[in-house]
Amino acid sequence: MSKITVPIGPQHPLLKEPLAFSLTLEGEHVIESAMRLGYVHRGIERLSQERTYVQNVHLFERVCGICSHIHTTTYCQGVEALLGLEVPPRGLYLRALLCELERIHSHLLWLGVQARNIGFDTIFMYAWRDREIVLDIMEDLSGGRVSHAVNIIGGVRIDLTTEHRDVILRQLDTLEPQIETLLDVVENERSFQARTRNIGVLSLEQIRRYCVVGPVARASGLDMDLRRDAPTPPYDRLKFRVPVRYEGDAWARTMVRMLETVESVHLCRQILTTLPDGPTSVRAKRRVPPGEVVSRAEAPRGEVIYYIRSDGSDKPARVKVRTPTLTNLITLPDQLQNISMADVSVVLSGVDLCIACADR
Amino acid sequence: MLLKLLIFPGFLFLFLCALFFDWVDRRMLARFQGRVGPPWYQPVADLIKLLAKEDILPTGVNPLTAAVLPMVSLAAVLTAGLYIPFGAFSTASFEGDLIVVLFLLSIPALAYFLAGWISTGVYSVLGGSRALLQYFSYEVPFLMALAGPAILAGSWSITHIVDYQSQTIWIALMQPLGFVLAIIGLIGKLKRDPLDIPKAKSEVVAGSLTEFSGRKLALWHLTMNMQTVVGIFLLVNLFMGQSSVFGPIPAFLSFGLKSVGILLLLSTASALYARLRIDQLATLGWRVLAPLALVQILVATWIGG
Repeated sequence: MSKITVPIGPQHPLLKEPLAFSLTLEGEHVIESAMRLGYVHRGIERLSQERTYVQNVHLFERVCGICSHIHTTTYCQGVEALLGLEVPPRGLYLRALLCELERIHSHLLWLGVQARNIGFDTIFMYAWRDREIVLDIMEDLSGGRVSHAVNIIGGVRIDLTTEHRDVILRQLDTLEPQIETLLDVVENERSFQARTRNIGVLSLEQIRRYCVVGPVARASGLDMDLRRDAPTPPYDRLKFRVPVRYEGDAWARTMVRMLETVESVHLCRQILTTLPDGPTSVRAKRRVPPGEVVSRAEAPRGEVIYYIRSDGSDKPARVKVRTPTLTNLITLPDQLQNISMADVSVVLSGVDLCIACADR
Repeated sequence: MLLKLLIFPGFLFLFLCALFFDWVDRRMLARFQGRVGPPWYQPVADLIKLLAKEDILPTGVNPLTAAVLPMVSLAAVLTAGLYIPFGAFSTASFEGDLIVVLFLLSIPALAYFLAGWISTGVYSVLGGSRALLQYFSYEVPFLMALAGPAILAGSWSITHIVDYQSQTIWIALMQPLGFVLAIIGLIGKLKRDPLDIPKAKSEVVAGSLTEFSGRKLALWHLTMNMQTVVGIFLLVNLFMGQSSVFGPIPAFLSFGLKSVGILLLLSTASALYARLRIDQLATLGWRVLAPLALVQILVATWIGG
């Protein structure tokens, strides 16, 4: 059978962000794949050296369009460590609340994309409808649905009243059964399983070799979650489970993400009910003493790392961002070997790529 | 005769039904998915918009073939529609018209494959070859399932099969297995969710029709919608034909209700399942559907004979 080369991207209905693949097919079978990145490189790391620490908070919010809050959290955490600032507990709790809401929003969005790619539009519509509840909560809290601009160096700029807290708790109560319905479909619907089981399998050994992080690693049996393993407050005081599965395929990834979503709803409730009193932020100095720091946090897609070096001025000397997508991307050529053309979409969306994060 | 051919139950009627069914389908699917869905004039608006758009043809494509293919498939579907009675009204009928209808209804599938094959784009070629593979998977169980009523009624004429049912009960009640197989076959024939493999958006963009635009694309869409109508009418005639179940309701009204009922089944199937892979469909078609259809035929022969 003759070979044909099929381009996937930079523009293709299956991709939500620009990324280019060139697949060599034999019939419906993929034998070779080549990847090209860099279509949304915006030079954010270089740009950050031209801006002050305060301005950079808003710059790093723009690294990702979905998990914007976790980027500013990691960045602020690092700068606060350099400054030796003690963030008030209420500020930390509110930060964590936004992180968890963002995790729910990101995973539901991802489930919608995955369902759309396997032609299951009903789940796509349901997931995105339920995601609206989270977006509403975030909009009420911060004024922004996706970019919240909640973090400032030294805490958060938002606060919430007891009445507002009760409203959010009620919204979470409507959200939870809907998420469980989606979880039920993912777990039991046979046509969903037919398209996702045994697709894009990654072994634990491959996960270790490629330093894969986040739900993809947890779906292959690597029990790792920064919120539990290296907790920053308030996660050391919160109770939650880290879902792990051992199949390593696209279905296991879906399950891990959906179980995490349920856990995040529980976490939001815990945070809201145990929210300590007090101020939400402290004043930070403009100039940061010389030094360097590595700040880490568990983003919806896995571990995000910020390396920040200061030379004593009000602008960072270097900020290096390592996003989870960058490490997870490397597994794609392995996963795209010897699969059907129809499974390419499942594999590509299975790792939950955020190309904007990877390119920066 | 000309009036029958052009207005009712001929072309104009089928055309209006195609638009109406398209709207009902989209609306029901939207309601299943928690959306509102389009207003009733959306299919007309879509058609007019596409007809008015620029007609682009990629270099290397034979313009004559590209223009003829959608017309041939539309003509085939319309001709098939002539032999399918609507309630008590029919344009033409003769012994053996079921076979002619089935033959005419398989022409669009081949035209669809050719539309992908003549194109220079990789997605079209992939979609075209998928369409052919799909054709081989669903067509055999579909034909065998439709042979069931014919064997039972002892005639290959659609009108006779309908008459047979007015003396007994719906064949769908006598051959529930055959009815289900025919519905699955019809989903495959119409390339609807969950068997929209040849035009799976996330895999082959729009399949064979990726490079089509303007008037030709409008004709293709119209063909698909007409095919839905004709296919549903055919199934209603063969499996839920004229019978006294509806009592005093006029025949054309009960026929319309039954057709919308089948459309509802199709929409439900679209909402309920994820798309199959082409190899999964082939396995399903040959390992499950075809043997089951064979069993149905044996049973029908046993009862009928």
